[in-house]
Amino acid sequence: MQRLRGAIFAVMVSAILAAPVFASGGREDDGIVELNFLEVLTSPGRTQLIRDLIAEYEALNPEVRINLISPPYEQADNRLTLALNAEEPLDIVEVRDYTIKQFVNNGRLTSLEPLLAEWPESETLLSITLQAARTVDRTAYIIPQFFFVKALFVRTDILAELGVTEYPQTIDELIDMSIAITDPSSGQYGFGFRGKAGEHKFSDYITISNVADISSEDIYRTESGEFSFATPAAREYLERYVALYQQAVPPDGINWGFNEQVNAFVSGTTPFLIQDPDTIGVLAGTLEPDQYAVIPLPVGRTGLAYLDYGFAGLGIPSYSEHKEEARDVLTFMLSARTNARFARGYGALPIHATTYENEAYFSTGVYTAWRDMLDDNPAYRFVGYPLASAQWPGWDQVHTQTMQALLLGQMTIDAVIARWVEYWSE
Amino acid sequence: MRTRRSHRLLPLLIPAALVLVLLIYYPILRGLALAFQRYDMFDLSDTGFAGFDNVRAVLYDPFVDFGRVLLNTFFWVGASLVAQFTLGFVLALLMRERFPGRGVYAGLVFYTWALSGFAIGLVWAWLFNGQFGLINDLLVRSGLSETHIGFLARPRTAMFAVIVTNVWYGIPFFGIMLLAALQSVPKELYESARIDGAGYAMQLFRVTIPYIAPTIVSTTLLRTIWIMNFPDVIYAMTGGGPANGTNILATQMITTVFKQYDYGKGAAIGLIILSILLLYAVFHLRVSAKTDEVI
Repeated sequence: MQRLRGAIFAVMVSAILAAPVFASGGREDDGIVELNFLEVLTSPGRTQLIRDLIAEYEALNPEVRINLISPPYEQADNRLTLALNAEEPLDIVEVRDYTIKQFVNNGRLTSLEPLLAEWPESETLLSITLQAARTVDRTAYIIPQFFFVKALFVRTDILAELGVTEYPQTIDELIDMSIAITDPSSGQYGFGFRGKAGEHKFSDYITISNVADISSEDIYRTESGEFSFATPAAREYLERYVALYQQAVPPDGINWGFNEQVNAFVSGTTPFLIQDPDTIGVLAGTLEPDQYAVIPLPVGRTGLAYLDYGFAGLGIPSYSEHKEEARDVLTFMLSARTNARFARGYGALPIHATTYENEAYFSTGVYTAWRDMLDDNPAYRFVGYPLASAQWPGWDQVHTQTMQALLLGQMTIDAVIARWVEYWSE
Repeated sequence: MRTRRSHRLLPLLIPAALVLVLLIYYPILRGLALAFQRYDMFDLSDTGFAGFDNVRAVLYDPFVDFGRVLLNTFFWVGASLVAQFTLGFVLALLMRERFPGRGVYAGLVFYTWALSGFAIGLVWAWLFNGQFGLINDLLVRSGLSETHIGFLARPRTAMFAVIVTNVWYGIPFFGIMLLAALQSVPKELYESARIDGAGYAMQLFRVTIPYIAPTIVSTTLLRTIWIMNFPDVIYAMTGGGPANGTNILATQMITTVFKQYDYGKGAAIGLIILSILLLYAVFHLRVSAKTDEVI
């Protein structure tokens, strides 16, 4: 008897320990629908912003309750991957451009094409919003919530002291000016270089914007199917990129990430910086508005700049039991009004064309650089990365290692290009 | 009587056993199984048995020089361990002596052990920064260097920087463990040694070190395992760069799993680390046992 009691006690303890594993959302007895919403780009301010928007939605729709799940940023993508593969109860998920392909491949996301077809506000979406939504299989599995598009940040005060009042319109001018103002003996350099983690987003812009006819779907291919970096123009500008590092950047720029780039800009060490709009929020506490300006990215010798756009969007898991309710939440979160509030709070670019016309915040000041680039400007072409390729996940490491070897003189330009071509030919 | 009592206690062990199985043994076995399975998050349509494909893919990866990563790992572990042990031992010897404020001093010295490796990496990356770093500032002001040094800009200096950081982090571990061992050495042994005419060096090598040898063996073994599995500092400071210069097996495993989402290949790297450490542990313990016999 005592043994039995002991065994029952043990089972109860085990059950209590295991209980959280089986917790889930769903329809409660009082008729309230509970939706589970997992975000991946977790940060305190942004999470609070989403919470506020959810509270607004819940006030308008008392029959719906939304549980926001916010895993720490570093683990969030993995958490989402594991949750979707284990079919954990989720109804709305935030998916990044880098990870969408695997979820579609594994059949974990619902097509949102029917939603786009019947949602009146889909007509005011920017063309790149739709382009981004249809990244995989030309079908909208997510709808972007915001964009990150780079622009050129210029320290007007520092450049004025150095006698520079005209700002670069072309990539050649940017490189030449950066080299011209560099004087290592006084700690003055030109360009806020990116050396690690995601550095290809910077070098690609400089090298590939000089190649004509880049495919809009794959920045690494020309319209005729040739590898972009195997063209003579890309080779020439890769050489110029190395010269830019050697002549206009402090040596440890090879190891710079976002923080170091911004720090060098704020200190005035490098008065030219290419960055995303969220940098504005970072600069707000350290620089006065008259100390810097943001201008459209310089164009290549083609007269064009190929712009990469980073994004994350909202999607609905294929196995969600509350797709109808989830769709309604999406139309609220992605509406022009809510999205403008979200983009402003987060420091990103909104997804509706109307926001750039109607909202003063986005149609004036530093944001005019992005408005000018996004406003069907023929000089700016939005091109995608081959996110759907199985080679994509390993590319960042291969590119970073070979580019750093090139900058250190351990590899030649031709060897680097051959390696890249070999990688993408696998 | 004893048997009945243990029968009664047995069910009470189930929760603890369950937690152990769920949180420790299952993940280990799952990790080992993953190493022999196709498990690339990019495409989970075929997650069958892959034999040694993942291990082969890691060893012969045409785009990541495995030999270099292995050499980096050995250098990182070896240099960090020797420097941590030596300085930790010196610290323990100093701390053994009584002096005013010893408790506060010990607290200050040992607190680094409580910090997160990633946070330490971020702080030291700024200390080594080529433009604004404190270390460069001190070097230039003191006249030891005329110009700022980009420590993290070259593979060799970057490896030096990450090892210095790791040494700073790991000294307290040896300090704490060896100090505890030193305090257990009976004072009578030193008195006898002194009567026999042994000087400080003789006492150190003939009394202290042989007496605390078991602690030295276990701490160096533990620390080797931890350093090998410690990517935090490198990941925060250089991300394994520049040009693969500080990439070790543990950082490559993190990149493979968290950036490339290839769990199978990541688990294969884990298996390689485990195999190396097992071989090392057997070797380490055998050599230590032989040394014990000699002593």
